[in-house]
Amino acid sequence: MFKKNTAGVDTDLIKKRLDSRKAKMKLSLAACAHCTLCAESCFLFNARDNDPTYMPSYKFINSIGVLYKKKGMVDRAALQDIRDVVWDRCVLCTRCYCPFGIDIPEMIAFARTICREQGVFPDFEKEQKHAG
Amino acid sequence: MYDFIRGPMVWISIAIFFGGILWQVFRFLTLSQAIEEPKLKRPAGLVAEVPPAGVGGFLHALKLSIFKTSPGMIIVTSVFHLCLVMVPLFLLGHNILIERAIGFSLFSFSERTSDVLTVIFLFCGLFFLYRRLFLPRVRIITSGYDFLMLLLATAPFITGLLAYHQLFDYKTLMVLHILAGEAMLICAPFTKFVHMVYFFAVRFSVKGEWALGSGNRNW
Ligand code: SF4
Ligand code: SF4
Repeated sequence: MFKKNTAGVDTDLIKKRLDSRKAKMKLSLAACAHCTLCAESCFLFNARDNDPTYMPSYKFINSIGVLYKKKGMVDRAALQDIRDVVWDRCVLCTRCYCPFGIDIPEMIAFARTICREQGVFPDFEKEQKHAG
Repeated sequence: MYDFIRGPMVWISIAIFFGGILWQVFRFLTLSQAIEEPKLKRPAGLVAEVPPAGVGGFLHALKLSIFKTSPGMIIVTSVFHLCLVMVPLFLLGHNILIERAIGFSLFSFSERTSDVLTVIFLFCGLFFLYRRLFLPRVRIITSGYDFLMLLLATAPFITGLLAYHQLFDYKTLMVLHILAGEAMLICAPFTKFVHMVYFFAVRFSVKGEWALGSGNRNW
């Protein structure tokens, strides 16, 4: 049988995490109308010339959304992509607004939790050396 | 077959529709919990902002809402959703059938009004299609599912309009119209159309700037 290469990723642990908040997360993902009305509520979206990859819904669909869609069966590269979305494109300021009450920051924070648990997170020390 | 889809199947769809909504409301209530009111005190010297009264207050609120950033979308989506609910509910043809079935019915629009509203509704649908296809921010989160849902929402109106004007084969269109309507009712509580439940559930029960009630829950 075809087996996805998930070496270096504890997919069982991811699945366990995903299950622990499944009801609310899945519901939030399902209730999102993909309307993009949340875009302007994110100051990063505004500050980056309306770059759609800074839109709150883009960020949760492409992080926690991917994890639920793949049921946790992701490889390291996928986790690194998620890391770039949930850390580089969001500061968790919790100012985003969805007319349907979708708790966007919680979803992004949850994706961070899962990445961190798998040892995938930004290397701030390295970044600081770069900057310094 | 025809008798089934225009008879029992209609009632089954309506039952699934309302049952599904109740289930989703129940789900929201179990996922959210009542929270205590935070006891914050306004610092001395900081006066409360009082919004202007009446129409002025409404305009003031609009300016603070997403109406300011996306006025076109808010107007179109409001018209779209109002038509989506009102046209089928107040359609003369539907009400005659309801009257026959249960002996009483709602008020009806004139056929001309329903006709015009249906066309307006479909234009709003076209606006959504345009956004999905051409606006980068919408396209980036759009998948085939979104187009399918748009079709599901507009199909009863397209088939209804064509049938009313007796374009193409009336009987076939009528069957398609009934099936499309039933499909929409059955799918609504279980697809992304569930946003209709959450829009109200959240507005009425969660405290917030745009709440419609004095809710005390959060999730
Ligand atoms: S999160 Fe809310 S505002 Fe943003 S696209 Fe989804 S439904 Fe629309
Ligand atoms: S929490 Fe993240 S997505 Fe939401 S407004 Fe702040 S930076 Fe934007």
